[in-house]
Amino acid sequence: MSQEPDLLTRRHFLRTSILGAALSWTVPVFVERTFSLLNAEAAESTTQIATGKDHPILVVLQLAGGNDGLNALVPFADDLYYRARPTINIPRDKVLSLDGYVGFNPRMAPLKNLFDQGRLALIQGVGYPNPNRSHFRSTEIWQTASDADKYLKTGWIGRYFDNCCSGEDATVGVTIGSQLPQTFTAERSTGIALTQSGKLGFGKEADASEQQVFNELNGITPEHDLNSGASIGSINGPNEPTLSTVEYLQRTALDAQVGTDKIEAVLKRTKPEAIYPKTPLGNELSLIARLISGGLPTRVYYASQGGYDTHNAQENSHNNLLGQLADALTAFSNDLTSKGIWDRVLVMTFSEFGRRVGENASKGTDHGTAAPMFISGGTVKPGLYGKHPSLSQLDQGDLIHTVDFRSIYATVLNRWMKAPASKILGRDFSPLSFV
Amino acid sequence: MFSPLSKDKWTYDTAAHLAARAGFGESPSQLERWTKQGMEATIQELLHPDIDQTSLPKCATPNQLADLRARVNQATDSEGKKTARRTLRAAENQGFYELISCWTQRMLTTRAPLLEKLTLFWHGHFATSAAKVRSPYKLWLQNETLRRDALGNFVTLTKAISRDPAMMIYLDLAASQVEHPNENFARELMELFTLGEGNYTEPDIKESARAFTGYRIDRFEQFRFAKNQCDAGSKTFMAQTGNWDGDEIIDIILRQPVAAKFICTKIWKYFAYEDPDSELTDRLAEIFRQNYEIRQLLETIFSSEEFYSQRARDAIVKSPVQYIVEAGRTLGVSIPNGFTLFFVYQRMGQTPFYPPNVKGWDGGKSWINTATLTFRYQVARELVLGIREVNQPHPTTTPQASPSPSALASSSAQPSPSTQTLNTMAQTDNSSGQSRISMAQTENSMEQTQNTKGQSLKAMAQNAVRLPALPIDNLVTTEDRADPEAALRRIYARAFQTTPDPQLFSRILTVAKEKPLPLSDDAVRDLVALMMMTPNYQVC
Repeated sequence: MSQEPDLLTRRHFLRTSILGAALSWTVPVFVERTFSLLNAEAAESTTQIATGKDHPILVVLQLAGGNDGLNALVPFADDLYYRARPTINIPRDKVLSLDGYVGFNPRMAPLKNLFDQGRLALIQGVGYPNPNRSHFRSTEIWQTASDADKYLKTGWIGRYFDNCCSGEDATVGVTIGSQLPQTFTAERSTGIALTQSGKLGFGKEADASEQQVFNELNGITPEHDLNSGASIGSINGPNEPTLSTVEYLQRTALDAQVGTDKIEAVLKRTKPEAIYPKTPLGNELSLIARLISGGLPTRVYYASQGGYDTHNAQENSHNNLLGQLADALTAFSNDLTSKGIWDRVLVMTFSEFGRRVGENASKGTDHGTAAPMFISGGTVKPGLYGKHPSLSQLDQGDLIHTVDFRSIYATVLNRWMKAPASKILGRDFSPLSFV
Repeated sequence: MFSPLSKDKWTYDTAAHLAARAGFGESPSQLERWTKQGMEATIQELLHPDIDQTSLPKCATPNQLADLRARVNQATDSEGKKTARRTLRAAENQGFYELISCWTQRMLTTRAPLLEKLTLFWHGHFATSAAKVRSPYKLWLQNETLRRDALGNFVTLTKAISRDPAMMIYLDLAASQVEHPNENFARELMELFTLGEGNYTEPDIKESARAFTGYRIDRFEQFRFAKNQCDAGSKTFMAQTGNWDGDEIIDIILRQPVAAKFICTKIWKYFAYEDPDSELTDRLAEIFRQNYEIRQLLETIFSSEEFYSQRARDAIVKSPVQYIVEAGRTLGVSIPNGFTLFFVYQRMGQTPFYPPNVKGWDGGKSWINTATLTFRYQVARELVLGIREVNQPHPTTTPQASPSPSALASSSAQPSPSTQTLNTMAQTDNSSGQSRISMAQTENSMEQTQNTKGQSLKAMAQNAVRLPALPIDNLVTTEDRADPEAALRRIYARAFQTTPDPQLFSRILTVAKEKPLPLSDDAVRDLVALMMMTPNYQVC
């Protein structure tokens, strides 16, 4: 019960479990399960600290919609900032200065503390050449780590999975939410999407033969595994054209079954901590903390916070988002620190772009280019990295990036994940020293 | 390539293929009629349907919520404002649940399935979300606009959408000012609605944004053109200079050859299969560009050999809406309304009136991942037994940061598939006892679960109401019940719509043969659920 889940390959799992114990997943319907979950008062549980597995963990946090970097990390010493933003600026005396030139939005005070405690690195002016201002295309560029004029099928995390995690099951990547991010698209394993899970099964106290037919029709069969040899290992990502739609469905059914079993085991022996804010992001990071501390062998977690597309009356909404981000991230850091596992974790935020330097007439900002990234973790080398983009030399009213985002990916891959960055990113990008 | 399917190739299975793609599946008797009357007559029937007689939803009157909105503004203290806002929010949500239910009911009973299927397509194309547009009336109005022009002319439709109040709110057109025009609509008009990314320049966006100024919404929630708030000056757009207005910008855009190809590719993917060859969409675009008549385009597609080819068969993953509506239409399961329906759609990954962002739903394989597939299977079981009504959570006290079109995933003002529940999840595997509860509880906010601890939870569980279970007498006859193979044939024809695939049929038959005879209602329901819980049922 308190054992860490074994790092089984799918095949191993199938051989050992499907034929035997797994037939007992003739569990009641999900609703009943959910009830029992909610009604868990009776159950005693203790948080199990993972010890055995010590591979590095990456948490990617997407700020979806295009975060207005200039109102998050504010160049308060520059008059041009105040001239460009007469109504939506952060007043100079409110900014939490970091180096005399830039400082945090006051709603991000908790992150200022993290910074002062040496648990946070900030990278200024991150972007890429020939920036694209479409949400979807720019998100795709960030997720696939492509050049602005190139289209890649797989995500950069997906390529990490392909290169470094062969033989592991789909829980190697876990995304919170019902959509897998394009970052996870890989030749092989594409990760688990986690919402209210429940179990994949026939869902009735059925006899064994119904359950078996259900398994077979869903490709969850020992025969499938044994006869097709390498087929499980070579199963492809959702964009892989060789996988028929029905095969893709079978693969997903298998992943769901293996993944939810493991996750359920982990959730059973962990409990949510009280320190998290009751926000969507707080909930997501709380859940990720449980999965990490419960010993799930996941290498990359993915969470996202939406709402950053602030074209209109942005002041309150943007400040709230930043506040929620700072609160949730700080709780996450404190939680994992107190459990002694913060040293194994690196959190990296990204957004598809920053926003136009000048405000628009609706007291908002339109799509822009470069923006800062926040990196936090137990072993991160704290500080300000990169040069803040000039506010006088703009390209069509937008900042000119000073750091290529792939330099950060390269740093994370090489120095944190111990992965061959140049192979995954297609060429060399000079790393930074935040790890 | 678009040579018509020859008459001898028109069979029951091709008719079924058309029924699933151009609609939501049909009964065996309807498919037999279509088989007999031939392809041409069937396509004409779909393209020129009888219009449904439906009653208007309650929210179909402008300014329904004006009183509640006024109360928010009038409240003087912050506590009063909070309460007023909560009441307003709840009323708005009720309106959206009503819209979702009404449209679903319409799709379930419609005599114009293609019209509804296309309206759904255009809803995903000109995506607009209630997470930002907090007016059920405006969204209802947009739905009517989409339906009115769904089979008509694409130029007309695009212009109508540019003046659609819901869209004007969603992409900030209604607030665009001459001094700094808001670029949101201008960008998405080209990127997502007509040309596709890369087929316009940043200056094109800035210039056309100027042309879409002066678009306002009046106090009856209708479009109004404010002449003195528009930029009537000269604009250079796509290398053409003139005092262009919004409609003229749309005309220029739709004269670009790439526009027709962009739309045709998307329509082909929606109705036929993913990744069509460029040659094929070039040919379609050539036809479409002549007059942008949607009806003609669809006639070409539905009568083409390619549409019925092996490559097109079973190639499309049913969308959640298709899954639900088809189950209702072809099997006869009861489909819930209101919040329960909202909840089910949301967990499956497609809630009408709540597209995830302005790009709409990606569709295809992206409908399916570990979370959504698991939920689909659970819903199948629930639908067959009679789904349990979900209790609606209280609206949250503090509104979330204003959700925006591009905000992926977690930005909804609605309760989102809650990680909270996962967090409160399960220290126990206790599946016994009083575990009957509506799906409801999973969705409830933390505050509500805290408010309704212990006793009341149990009480609610016991009171959970089920919709009627799937009626079996419509599916199988008394004689069929004595003959598992005959019974299975009947169910199979409804569930999978086609003549049986021998392998799939024989696997399910092994289960049917183990049931005691005559087959009980529950035994038949088991078989229906089993069919719905296969990869094969997820595709059409």
